Amino acid sequence: MQTLDITLVAAPSGAGKTTWIQQQIHSIADTAIYLSLGADETLIDAAYLSAEVPGLTVLPVIQLTDFLERPTVGCSIYLELGFHIDLTSLILPDQIADCRRVAVLPPGTRHTEWHDWADLIVTGAEANFTLQHPHLWRSALSGQVLDLASLNTFWYELTNGAYGTVQRAKGIFDVADGRSLYFDFVAGFSDTTHLKLNLPFWLNGRPDRFSGIEVVGEMLDQEAIAQTIEECCLNDQAIAYYQQQIKNSLEPGDEVA
Amino acid sequence: MKIAVISCIHGNYEALNAVLSDIDDHNVDKIYCLGDLVGYGPRPNAVVEMIRALDIPTCQGCWDEDIVEGLNACECSYPSVLAEKRGKLAHEWTNQVIHPEVREYLARLPLSLRDDNLCFVHGSPHNQHEYLMPEVDAFVAMERVLSTGADILFCGHTHVPYVRSLDAGQLQIRVKSTDKSEQDMNFSAPLKRIVNAGSVGEPRHGRPNATYVIYNADTDQITLHEVEYDYQKTCAAIVEKGLPPIFAWRLARGMEFAERADDPTHVCER
Repeated sequence: MQTLDITLVAAPSGAGKTTWIQQQIHSIADTAIYLSLGADETLIDAAYLSAEVPGLTVLPVIQLTDFLERPTVGCSIYLELGFHIDLTSLILPDQIADCRRVAVLPPGTRHTEWHDWADLIVTGAEANFTLQHPHLWRSALSGQVLDLASLNTFWYELTNGAYGTVQRAKGIFDVADGRSLYFDFVAGFSDTTHLKLNLPFWLNGRPDRFSGIEVVGEMLDQEAIAQTIEECCLNDQAIAYYQQQIKNSLEPGDEVA
Repeated sequence: MKIAVISCIHGNYEALNAVLSDIDDHNVDKIYCLGDLVGYGPRPNAVVEMIRALDIPTCQGCWDEDIVEGLNACECSYPSVLAEKRGKLAHEWTNQVIHPEVREYLARLPLSLRDDNLCFVHGSPHNQHEYLMPEVDAFVAMERVLSTGADILFCGHTHVPYVRSLDAGQLQIRVKSTDKSEQDMNFSAPLKRIVNAGSVGEPRHGRPNATYVIYNADTDQITLHEVEYDYQKTCAAIVEKGLPPIFAWRLARGMEFAERADDPTHVCER
């Protein structure tokens, strides 16, 4: 059996797993496969990486077994583990069992289950560990188009505690002008990043591509979060109106889906 | 003569009470109110009854108008889809609970008030929906004051208090006649001021405290007052009455809900 170049990456929420993987793939400047275990509903990290990292293939979890039977030769594989996966009870397929295990931990972290588990500890971003019982809430939004001013208001409220204590929030949203935006928040950092993903402008009806949101926090008012997001969404008529306006103002070279 | 000017109470009875007792301590001769007695807050009837009982001269705000005329503000006066949906919820709630005599009172309110060289309006002399932001173009600002004939224009609507002095204003005009002759003329505008009273019941200056202004005509001094009050009581009432809890969250942080539109001086022609 051939040996595969597989890296398993685990980390607490907000420590920078996805960022670290992104850096590795950039540095090897080669083709790579990415898989996210435990993010099968919204796939935010996967959608972010596939838009931002050329040469990366995102593999759905259900195709993992098939892939391991017939792996692509010379390709690095990165498996990201959701922070809520219990490392001690994780059972991996035989082909993966002897892979490299990397934990991305905030500076100064000592004596955690990640230390026992990992072959390599990478110092990641400062992260906030104060929550006793972090809860994960996620919602798929594919097909929805949001009004950007509303989204900004909602994001401000969400990350400033209007719907419970939020430790980490990330989302990919299609907005009225056809862009797909990546929002990223880690508690303790006032600047919330907001990045245009490297995807074509979507200007023909409801986008047929991934969008969604993921929130880690405590005492989350899930109903209010869901309702507010719904109130940020545009109806078909408004979507068509904005898309027509944007089509009329496109520059040559703008890529449209 | 000393006058107090209050604005944008938005159904916040606790804040109004606190401001009125603060005004009491300053021995003013008269109080003027710039409207928006209702909307967002949980006690619109109580606020109007208090203003009426004290016989405070009041001009009509945009919310007062909407409660009388039906929601007529165009969507362009909302900065976002979310703000529009929440604004409509607040409007519908207020519309349901308002007493008939309160509605009649709001309907009778004048659009502006005059007292000697002072003029009082809600948004601007042109429309109660227009925002006179502190950074609005100096020419526009000057035009708004000059159109009233007053020296000081008191307004509200933005929920952020400010005083703006328009001095050393130079206006240059060129008159072209049909015989093709041209004539340049220069005017020096006299000192004019715009005073925004902020908001009693929905402040948006980053703290929950109510704001209002006092103008002392004898010394020509304008002072801005910030009053602490038990905002938690209003927040609790917002939730208890079934208004969206996000209104309470924003009130406690000094964030007014309805952020202004992209073009604040836009006036809907509808």
